[in-house]
Amino acid sequence: MHYESPVRQPLILGDKSYNQITEDVVRPIENAAPRSWWVVFSIALVMFLWGVGSLAYTVGTGIGVWGLNKTVGWAWDITNFVWWVGIGHAGTLISAVLLLFRQRWRMAINRSAEAMTIFSVIQAGLFPVFHMGRVWMAYWVLPIPNQFGSLWVNFNSPLLWDVFAISTYLTVSVVFWYVGLIPDFAMVRDRAVNPVQKHIYKVLSFGWGGKAKAWQRFEEVSLVLAGLATPLVLSVHTIVSMDFATSVIPGWHTTIFPPYFVAGAIFSGFAMVQTLLLIVRKVFKMEDYITIQHIEMMNIIIMVTGSIVGVAYITELFIAWYSGVEYEQYAFLNRATGPYWWAYWSMMTCNVFSPQFMWFKKLRTNLVFTFVISIVVNIGMWFERFVIIVTSLHRDYLPSSWSMFSPSFVDVGIFVGTIGFFFVLFLLYARTFPVIAQAELKTILKTSGEAQKKHHSDHGAHH
Amino acid sequence: MASNKVYWKSFDQLANTEVSQRLAENEFAQDIPADVFLADERSMEAQTSRRDFLKFLGFSTAAATLAACEQPIIESVPYVVKPDSLTPGVPSFYATAYTDGQDYASVLVKTREGRPIKVEPGDAGRFNRGTNARAQASVLSLYDSARLRGPILNGKDSDWATVEASLKKAADAALAQGTQFVLLTSSVFSPSLQAAIERLRQSYANFQHVEFDAISQSNTLDVWEALTGVRALPTVDLTAAKLVLSFGSDFLSGATAQQLSSDYAARRKPGGDMLRHVEFESNLSLTGSNADKRVKIKPSEVAGSLAFLVNELGGSAAKVALRDDLSKALKSVAGELKAANGKSVVLVGGDDANAAKLAAALNALTGAFGTTLRTDKPVYIRRGNEARVANLVADLNAKRVGALLVAGTNPVYFRPDFEKAIKGAKFSMSLTDRMDETAVLCSAAAPMPHYLEAWADYRPVAGEYTVAQPTIKNLFNSKSVLEVLGGLSGDARSAKDQVAALATSFGLNWNQTVHDGGAAVTSGAVSGAAAGAAAALAASAKVAKPVAGMELAMYENAVGAGYQANNPWLHELPDPVTRLTWDNYLTIAAADALALGFENETNSDGSLDGSYATVKVGKRVLENVPVFIQPGQTAGTVGLAYGYGRTSAGKVADDMGVNAYALGVTTGAVAVEIAKADGMHEFATVQLGNTMMGRRIVNEVTLADFIADPSGSSWNEKPTFHTIDGHKTSEEANLWANHDHETMHMWNMSIDLNSCTGCGACVVACHIENNVPVVGKQEIRNLRDMHWLRIDRYYSSDMSKERAAEENIGGIEMYAKMEEPSESPAVVFQPVMCQHCNHAPCETVCPVGATVHSREGLNHMAYNRCIGTRYCANNCPYKVRRFNWFNYMANEQFADVNPSQDDYGRMVLNPDVTVRSRGVMEKCTMCIQRVQYAKLEAKKAGQPLADGTFTVACAEACDSGAITFGDVNNAKSAVRAAKADARAYHLLEEVGTQPSVFYLTKVRNA
Repeated sequence: MHYESPVRQPLILGDKSYNQITEDVVRPIENAAPRSWWVVFSIALVMFLWGVGSLAYTVGTGIGVWGLNKTVGWAWDITNFVWWVGIGHAGTLISAVLLLFRQRWRMAINRSAEAMTIFSVIQAGLFPVFHMGRVWMAYWVLPIPNQFGSLWVNFNSPLLWDVFAISTYLTVSVVFWYVGLIPDFAMVRDRAVNPVQKHIYKVLSFGWGGKAKAWQRFEEVSLVLAGLATPLVLSVHTIVSMDFATSVIPGWHTTIFPPYFVAGAIFSGFAMVQTLLLIVRKVFKMEDYITIQHIEMMNIIIMVTGSIVGVAYITELFIAWYSGVEYEQYAFLNRATGPYWWAYWSMMTCNVFSPQFMWFKKLRTNLVFTFVISIVVNIGMWFERFVIIVTSLHRDYLPSSWSMFSPSFVDVGIFVGTIGFFFVLFLLYARTFPVIAQAELKTILKTSGEAQKKHHSDHGAHH
Repeated sequence: MASNKVYWKSFDQLANTEVSQRLAENEFAQDIPADVFLADERSMEAQTSRRDFLKFLGFSTAAATLAACEQPIIESVPYVVKPDSLTPGVPSFYATAYTDGQDYASVLVKTREGRPIKVEPGDAGRFNRGTNARAQASVLSLYDSARLRGPILNGKDSDWATVEASLKKAADAALAQGTQFVLLTSSVFSPSLQAAIERLRQSYANFQHVEFDAISQSNTLDVWEALTGVRALPTVDLTAAKLVLSFGSDFLSGATAQQLSSDYAARRKPGGDMLRHVEFESNLSLTGSNADKRVKIKPSEVAGSLAFLVNELGGSAAKVALRDDLSKALKSVAGELKAANGKSVVLVGGDDANAAKLAAALNALTGAFGTTLRTDKPVYIRRGNEARVANLVADLNAKRVGALLVAGTNPVYFRPDFEKAIKGAKFSMSLTDRMDETAVLCSAAAPMPHYLEAWADYRPVAGEYTVAQPTIKNLFNSKSVLEVLGGLSGDARSAKDQVAALATSFGLNWNQTVHDGGAAVTSGAVSGAAAGAAAALAASAKVAKPVAGMELAMYENAVGAGYQANNPWLHELPDPVTRLTWDNYLTIAAADALALGFENETNSDGSLDGSYATVKVGKRVLENVPVFIQPGQTAGTVGLAYGYGRTSAGKVADDMGVNAYALGVTTGAVAVEIAKADGMHEFATVQLGNTMMGRRIVNEVTLADFIADPSGSSWNEKPTFHTIDGHKTSEEANLWANHDHETMHMWNMSIDLNSCTGCGACVVACHIENNVPVVGKQEIRNLRDMHWLRIDRYYSSDMSKERAAEENIGGIEMYAKMEEPSESPAVVFQPVMCQHCNHAPCETVCPVGATVHSREGLNHMAYNRCIGTRYCANNCPYKVRRFNWFNYMANEQFADVNPSQDDYGRMVLNPDVTVRSRGVMEKCTMCIQRVQYAKLEAKKAGQPLADGTFTVACAEACDSGAITFGDVNNAKSAVRAAKADARAYHLLEEVGTQPSVFYLTKVRNA
């Protein structure tokens, strides 16, 4: 038996038995959905359908139904893309990086964090596809053999790198997530009474038998996948940032972008995990598993990454001044004081100032405050992308082409639609998937369970 | 020797088996069931007799034949016998003359497969050779589906015989009853038409011919008629001038703008002899924007200023008190006039009789007569007489007109008095291109051919005779004015015969004249005016005191007088100065706007709104006139463009803007009352940033500095970069491997910012040549214009980096102030199209490689490959890429404006250029279709492609020769010489894009 210092906080609260963990995790799947679930699901579905309608209108009529113009060729579309990709960062970070660093506290939250990752990457993927003027030709970005002669994709283009980065990330995340789900699906299968349900979970669990050999392989695959996924955490947003960094537009052409984007992505990802888990633990009564300690840990990460982002913002300003390039200088001055000053200062307030409250233990362990901050951070990170994209484009080199941007109802519809789509997926997930990796969690019950820990400290660790 | 080979069908036949023998005997391998068929008794008893069978056969044959006859021909069919002069895919060019009621120009028309598709400048040396925006756009007016299709009598469709008979009956009746028979036209300078009118005068004793110009020069013409004996204005010859002094004359947009622009640009080549241009004006006009010195003045101060100068130069004119700063400016100008020593010309805008007299006197005093002002070489393009128009209105109101024939003009729209007066004619008829405001009020209306459909001739200036030939058969049931008038006077000759007879009477070879588009003749010259008589006019001129209140000066933009108001290309072309489209509006000075409560505001989406005003002149009122705050506008004055506010011109023009003519002012300027009205007007502008923000975009130098440092090192310094190996230029400090630009061609374009006047003819030419969609007002308001070529206009600002440094002003305040143009700004124009970068930012970012580099220095765009990510447009530092936001070819929103959605309008499309689909990016291709065509022709001829054999559409359209296109690998090319010029620089050189387009520094003669 693994020994854990009594100084460490217990990760599972209450006097839990293995069976009790199973019962707690499987409860939402086996019981009928509460009324509140239906209400939220209906709202999400309506939002999603609105988005579908907006997308259909766009595809049917043209990108002209958006608020873009000759100078601002990207706005909400790519803002939303980067925002959703950013949100999708926390899952892999929690499951892969924290696995490699043997952070056991990740076990209670990694399942949902990964689900969030996958669902948000799906949302993100919609934007680069549907922002194309000829979406029906979208498959041309894939380097597939074709009958167009010797036509090949342009490997110089960061947009092409995006295609590879996002698709790789999505694939690895899905596989990683699914592998972890197999023993848990098997658990649901074993308990299922309804034959249809039983059959579905039978198929989903790939015939998991729970043999020692199977567990050994499971552990090995998880480790290998974690090793594969870790560099992706860094690469995805690095590559997304290169869409901008490799361009010549002042405000985009910035070498600091890769680390700055990665930090921002983790920042926003953790904020979204916070938002979702605070709801999940409350609705599904999982306070014993997703403890205040978890919340606090994540708040610390939010605080650290928020500060990194803040340093990046200030570095950008400094370098713009130091570079002596007048276009660069104007681009940043215009960000802070031009027509979009409100977006810039919203970003600054939400991303740099608000996480600083987390220095106070009282605040970072306060659930309501945490929830508010997590929303604020997500708003701030949306503004960050908007600021980078729109305020850089709207006033670039030649003042004759300067313009402004204002979203159309279709822009808004599509964004709201992806939020709806995300929640539709997440709510379905919460009702059909074990939201906590119970199989993994059970491995730490004896070492990190509150009752067990208490037992250890009371009776010593010698048996 | 005959072949003895035996061919066999099967092995059985070869072996000659029994089976094959039997098969060879029986024609049918299986028995035909004839017995079964014949045994069926019912079939034998059928009622269909032989006669019935024949009936059915006959009927079905006839039906099939009829159906075949009525089959509409939807697809075009190839020629059975191909005309010799026509090869599909090869354009034919015809010399002709362009007129639209207002303009005249000598042009060359390009036709493809029998369709005119492009208007190009005529032969070098022809008077007013060239194409302004209207001449370029005129080819679309041919395919305007709002054109009148056939004669109309009393509101019902009719035919020519009936309508002409009615006209003749009315004219005869008028003769019998002693009332007048009046022909009302715009200025007639066609010798054939003048002859036809003369014949009509012989036939009808009661005949009157009244000429008027929409934008009148009547008073000025009176002055010159008195001096020279002919009703015509003298030729302005800028080639002989060193100083042009203009009082509100927008001569670069006027009747002979092509000629003047070309001469002006030629004389503005930087050097010791450069023409100086001083403009005194109230509105900031295109011409004034180009001036070396511009003085703001009110229209009522013009006469006083001219009188001041007359007195300064030794003449005698009435004296009137002027503002101190104005008299100071005039004093210095008087010195310049003296120094110019006869090589100066004074031009005056509007149509004030006193100003015209004083200007004539001033020109006489400075010795301009015979040098810069050729009084012996009159221009006949303007001949209108407002006094006769007033008489006609009086006669109409008094019912003294029995028959009124309006030919090619629109009096009800141009002169508000006619709306009531025209009903006074017993019979009225309009020969018109559409059911315009006049035609709808006439008893009869009949279609006139477009100039591209008709024979005509002109004598635009003394000594030149031009012939206009048709380039397409009449699209509609139209008839030339020559033939209609001939019908009345018993002359049955066709228009062609009439013109041919007249050309022959000049002793010209008909075929040669038609081919050349004209010839020099001795007719039309006069002895010229005596300078003494002109100088004496000054004393007779009345000089009134300047008006204290608001004054209105009307002007014309690309829409001109309004004859072609239904042409969407002219509306899509932004006003060169205000950069607004699809509108006319009151231009007002910022100070007056503040005082009167007028506002302009930019919305969050970049669209511009402006207040409304009510404009009052006497009893005439114009409601809901949008107000635009215009830097450079003289305080106390407002401007308003002619040509808008049509009510019966077609889907494009109707109800757009306000009708400036409705104020009933023919002198061009008037005192007005202006009041604020409720509501905000939605403008459609293409440019929000008005100043250069302290950036080196348009490089500018004064003439003195230019002469002092011909190498340009002090005023055209290349940006350099610090590297580990020291300072390097952007071409040397390079991350990329260079393309091979030594072999074959390397296309480059030079744009001389000194020659460019900003007129916009190139923008329209580019639209036409490249099938650029017209997107209409709302989309331009959304900042989604599709111009491949735009002309940026920048104002100077009071704030500069130097000033900020001196006065310790911080960056935030400095940039905020830099955005504001000066109250009296210097103006620069800069045509910007795709710069065809050799290290193009757009090329690297396209994920599918839809935009790629050519070996010839061009940046190609493969529409078929484009998936529309818009990344290329975002990454373009010049923002020249244009995205197809909608399906402009089919989307209903553009049905009224985009020619490619109209069955007739579609005929104007250039067959050499793809019409782009929705969702793809497009941009300037450097007229790749022209490049390829020229290369193929050279290849066929087995000759190297010589410089000057072809050029791109914008360069061709430019009257001032600002654009030079060619191969820099050709040692003899003009563009290579331009590239070596000390003035040459690349736009945004420091970005390292290495463009194939370069600019020549603007030199101001200040």
